[in-house]
Amino acid sequence: MTDPTTSFLTHRRLVGLAVAAQMLFILAVAGAGYATTALGRTITLRTTPVDPRDLLYGDYLRLNYTISQVQPALWRGPEPPQKHQAVYVLLQPTNGAYEAAGVYATEPPAAPDQAVLRGWVTDSWRQGIRLRYNLERYYVPENSGAALEKAGARRPLLVRVSVAPWGQARITQVGEVRK
Amino acid sequence: MSRKLLETEGPKWVAQGIITPQQREQLLALYPEEERVVGLLPLLGSLLLGLSALSVVAANWQGLPEWLRLLLLLGSMGGAYAGGEYFLRRRNEALGMGLVGLGLVLFGCGIILTSQLYQLIGYDATGLLAWVLAGTVLTYLYRSRTLFILTACIGGIVQGYSTGQLGSFSYFTAALTVWGLGYYWWRRPDGLLGLVLASSLLWQAGLLIGHLHAKITWFFIPAMLTYALGDWQPDRPAARGLQTPPLAAAFLFTLGLALYGEADTYAGMLRPPFLAYIGALLLVLAISLAGKYRRGRLGSATDWLLLLPGFYLHGGLALAVATLVVLYAYSGSVLWRAHQENNADRVTLGTVLFILTTMVAYFKLTWAFMDKSLFFLLGGALLLGLSWFLRRRNARALSAKQPQP
Repeated sequence: MTDPTTSFLTHRRLVGLAVAAQMLFILAVAGAGYATTALGRTITLRTTPVDPRDLLYGDYLRLNYTISQVQPALWRGPEPPQKHQAVYVLLQPTNGAYEAAGVYATEPPAAPDQAVLRGWVTDSWRQGIRLRYNLERYYVPENSGAALEKAGARRPLLVRVSVAPWGQARITQVGEVRK
Repeated sequence: MSRKLLETEGPKWVAQGIITPQQREQLLALYPEEERVVGLLPLLGSLLLGLSALSVVAANWQGLPEWLRLLLLLGSMGGAYAGGEYFLRRRNEALGMGLVGLGLVLFGCGIILTSQLYQLIGYDATGLLAWVLAGTVLTYLYRSRTLFILTACIGGIVQGYSTGQLGSFSYFTAALTVWGLGYYWWRRPDGLLGLVLASSLLWQAGLLIGHLHAKITWFFIPAMLTYALGDWQPDRPAARGLQTPPLAAAFLFTLGLALYGEADTYAGMLRPPFLAYIGALLLVLAISLAGKYRRGRLGSATDWLLLLPGFYLHGGLALAVATLVVLYAYSGSVLWRAHQENNADRVTLGTVLFILTTMVAYFKLTWAFMDKSLFFLLGGALLLGLSWFLRRRNARALSAKQPQP
């Protein structure tokens, strides 16, 4: 454990530095969460219940979006989409929520009213492309699960997602459709 | 002479008057107790503790306010590291390293739980890369085998998650494993760590091949590069540790080729572009042979028999038979070398490989060959001849070495 490095960089100081760096990193992850909400733009997605009888799995809600499955005609890549491929989905506002306007293999340019969400192809066949955004699980805040479950069983829910300019995204709110 | 032998047989020797009780004590003092098995316990302990802490907190997680959750994550991690330092200073290596390992596990949990807390989506493995990096840094700081093994496992998990869930191969993780852990192993050679390092590298190489949708035979370029690194390592047991996983992979692959290679559809799936593949393989072979020559181990060049690219042969029985011949030649060479080195463990290994090969040959040829009897006659004669030859040599070698110090 005796390191013949310079007197400043003792083993103890180096360990301290390494641990401090790890703590800072965790704080930075938390900071990224706040920054995504503060600096990102909010888009609203429509989601349908996966299974109304059993919407809640433990402490999270399983969400299935209207953009989770898209028409193959929306595919804009040079080659057919492959399983596990990372893709960019161009979203356009229609009737109060964002819907997919195109699925790209590389990041597409977006008009001011459009947004780009990153995702992965989980399956692709002749009638559709199934996509995963890692937004499919919503970790439910205390006591709001039951109400959401009831609401989700009746009609689609609206999900607010913050998308940061650097592409990071997070769910900020899940709620009922307000008429 | 081992301590175990002294402990079990010693009392008998004392009773028979061969040695006195004092001499037995003196002999025992010559072979201090090793803590090999105990060394693994802190690793297991830290993993279990980490899991239990995780499940307790996870059960009440949602009920806690955000700041408390963050504080809990940071506090438990910092506490584990501080505890580790405390016990290491008091020369309690096992517990100290276990706690440092726990700190590293908690760091990973911290990253995952914090991103979950903010519903953040991981589009790449950046967050988890920090975990591998922290493990590598701590391995160097503490010069600990426990942390080395833990970091190799974390690297494998992160790479698996990255390719499986995020659809991208993390070259940074691979580079950290190669340069970070590889350099550590090179400077502090160790058989077990060699085994762990090679397994981690092979796992990641396999994931890369899968990710690139390349022919699986390309796997053997990085695998044999790992093997070649062992050829340059001056420490023999450490080199053997590193070379075992690539050789095991090559042997199993060749065994599979002997079984299924006959169908050209299967062999066809294995054929990468000839010039590129053979060129790369020859390059690795040259690196390996140069290392063997440098360290005076050219005898082990027979290992490369397993890499003969027989799958370029056009299907049919010829391929199966050729592969079987290669397998026999390889297991024979293992036996022969084991004998040269008087290495009992390797005699066992060679025998096992020989029997495995014979079993595959049996399955293969009872289906395909009509005159299998001739082949088995030859195989049986070979096996009997070899066993007779080995036994005779063994007896002779042992009698020559009788007055061993």
